[in-house]
Amino acid sequence: MRLDRRQLLVAFATAMPLLPCRAHDSSRRPRIAAVTPVYYKYSHSQHIVDRFLDGYGWEGRHHRPAMDVVSLYVEQVGANDLSRERAQRHPQMKIYPTIAEALTCGTNKLAVDGVLLIGEHGRFPVNEKGQQLYPRYEYFQQIVQVFRDSDRVAPVFNDKHLSWNWNYAREMYDTAAAMGFGLMAGSSLPVTWRQPSIDLPMGADVEEIVGIWSGGIDGGDIHVIEAMQAIVERRRGGETGVRAVEAMRGERFWSALAAGSWDQGGWDPTLLEACLSRSNQLNPARPTYSHILPTNDDIRRLAPESYAYRFEYLDGTRASIVQLQAAKKQEGGGIVGDCSVAARLKNGELFSLMFYLPYYSTRNFFSPQVHHMESLFLTGKSPYPVERTLLTTGMTAAGIESLFQGEKRLDTPHLAIVYQPTRESTFWRS
Amino acid sequence: MHSRRSFIGTLTAAALGPASSRAEPTERKRIAIITTVWTYQSHAQHMGDRFLIGYPRNGRWHKPPLDVVALYVDQRPEGDLSGQRARDHRFTVYPTIAETLRCGGSRLAVDGVVIIGEHGNYPRTRKNQIQYPRFEFFQQCVKVFEQDGRCVPIFNDKHLSYDAGKARKMVAESKRLGFPFLAGSSLPVTWRLPPVDIPLDAEFEDALMVGVGGSDAMDYHALEAMQCMVERRRGGETGIKSVQIIDGDEVWMAAEQGRWSRRLLEAALSRSDTLQGDTQLDSRPQDLANNGQLPRLVPNPSAYFIERNDGLRTTLLMLNGAVQDYTFAAQLKGGPIISTQFFLPPQPNVTYSACLVSAIEEMIVSGKAPYPVERTEIVSALLDRCLDSRAENYRRIETPDLDIRYLAAKESRFGLR
Repeated sequence: MRLDRRQLLVAFATAMPLLPCRAHDSSRRPRIAAVTPVYYKYSHSQHIVDRFLDGYGWEGRHHRPAMDVVSLYVEQVGANDLSRERAQRHPQMKIYPTIAEALTCGTNKLAVDGVLLIGEHGRFPVNEKGQQLYPRYEYFQQIVQVFRDSDRVAPVFNDKHLSWNWNYAREMYDTAAAMGFGLMAGSSLPVTWRQPSIDLPMGADVEEIVGIWSGGIDGGDIHVIEAMQAIVERRRGGETGVRAVEAMRGERFWSALAAGSWDQGGWDPTLLEACLSRSNQLNPARPTYSHILPTNDDIRRLAPESYAYRFEYLDGTRASIVQLQAAKKQEGGGIVGDCSVAARLKNGELFSLMFYLPYYSTRNFFSPQVHHMESLFLTGKSPYPVERTLLTTGMTAAGIESLFQGEKRLDTPHLAIVYQPTRESTFWRS
Repeated sequence: MHSRRSFIGTLTAAALGPASSRAEPTERKRIAIITTVWTYQSHAQHMGDRFLIGYPRNGRWHKPPLDVVALYVDQRPEGDLSGQRARDHRFTVYPTIAETLRCGGSRLAVDGVVIIGEHGNYPRTRKNQIQYPRFEFFQQCVKVFEQDGRCVPIFNDKHLSYDAGKARKMVAESKRLGFPFLAGSSLPVTWRLPPVDIPLDAEFEDALMVGVGGSDAMDYHALEAMQCMVERRRGGETGIKSVQIIDGDEVWMAAEQGRWSRRLLEAALSRSDTLQGDTQLDSRPQDLANNGQLPRLVPNPSAYFIERNDGLRTTLLMLNGAVQDYTFAAQLKGGPIISTQFFLPPQPNVTYSACLVSAIEEMIVSGKAPYPVERTEIVSALLDRCLDSRAENYRRIETPDLDIRYLAAKESRFGLR
């Protein structure tokens, strides 16, 4: 049913004679609409939209984007809302009661040159698998309806994964392709600072890769999966897609942790050690020692709710996402505060790095992401392939599905997503 | 007191022969730690533990080929960990520095000395400098070297001394006796955001450092961070011609008078992750260098003006209330503005100290300091003179005694790959 409807929509979209997506008319500043469930301190929309409104530190200057956020839709306005203060301080930005009105600026035609779709935070139900049902797909549908009604499209940025739901995500991707507008998506982790400041050499032969963080079904998973994907996609031949996933938690996780290798049902422990060694935030596992490598026993004690996803790529590459998760309200619990990855290359070399998310109130990891959004709006094209986020959306959903089905190994023929990374690295390094 | 461990240690040292630098690189070396206190989160704990249990380096949990065999700790306040560490890692705490270096025997019995004279209860000078006994610790080490006819490398944490004369004497002693001497702050060797360096032999127009914290602990760090950048200029470091501090609203007026560059402040603050004021209120980004908020946020700003013998003027702004991190910007002649943050990873791991320990390990293993101790000497001395300026009604002080010339190491060695 769902697929039929999607196919129908795509066919419909393809048939429509829309204006092709292209760079906006460069004689004036691009006009941007932002649609979001909430706008409060430390919400993604606050970090992103504020950077368009107030500028941000970039390459030795306080940079002010050469575009204007002219309209804003906020679904849930609570006591902590900042959107009203922002609209008052930046009168060029008007708040509209619907997504359609935000995109048309109250007229009957699309009146913006780009759309920020930031569907994160806010009160939305959580399903039985632990996924929070953020309405990114629904927002996206309303956006493309305006495009259709206006016979015009504009590039769209979608924050984080495309959706909690694979079919929704696929449909969003197909719609953008069929209607011909630039779609950029994903986490800020692939584009933030790295420690050390390196990228996987293009065409490297990767045998196995491990990515770690501190847990969080869905919301936390997508970040570390996409960070890992931004590295592994640069391997020889580029991305081939994912063949199967297997999740593990509880005793199966502890067995995997102790297994000693992928073939024994776990992952290369050297790679886990490398990931831990890249962190600046290891929870001290022994009293009075401020920085100590945790043992497997420490991990079991401090992160009893740990879980992992093991992904098999179509070209045979093996990837493990190890989520070292404390119990809820566990005092002094947790193992690691940073997301890092480590890969073993075919020549035996180790490659590892940490994705540094500036820890402080400015949350400056949004700066490189906004920088890329500016590029999307100026050129009409995503600066890195949205197929990455399509794949990581599917990997996240498949991992959660495996967990939900009692850690069953699942074949993922729908994730045979092939793409090539950008040759030039896109992470923050200047 | 004369444990089996120290007895074996003495024998081993005797068997090794006189010059530790002649030892094979694969063989394990023995080090002594001389410190003021060893409590949780003290410099001695952060750095000393890394020799005991390893530390992250280049994506591995690296175990240094060094054994801590002896410890001297000057004060044992509540929370002292020295005894527990000695038991857990089977080394001995000795009551004097001489016994520590000799491991209770009669001859120097270690291959390297790590002096960490930070924290602890020590008086302040009239210029408000904490009188950490680094010079006195160092002198006692040198005395053992001289008595025993053998020298080993010494590392000294942070500035050599609060006193310019003492700092100069320490460097002179190391040269007279010819032992490797490394010192200083972790800021020059920590990660940078972005990971930029000044091209060797660059010509500077202007340089500005932004720091926070108290004196003389944190202004020292900021000054050494700036020094590791400007020492790379054409001709190397030429010494300090004059220094002056100003405090309060005059700091803002000095910008209007062109004594420091607001453009460089914008560049430095563009690298900060810790803007205060409205950013704390609701996380909004700010152009703090230009939006007029600084006088409100920083009631007690300080500017340290440091004029070099080759004419370069460099400035440290201490802006407590504006930010909580350390940033730098420089205008190169006919070139770009280079700016970066000296990244200090948070407590409790404080991974920046792993970068410093890696440099210490390199010196003790190779017998060669990876960067010149003159960097630390000149910053120790110029800070002392800056504080003279403050004590003497903020006058500009000519500093012919700071005629310290040196060339930067080719490799900066910041951040661990």
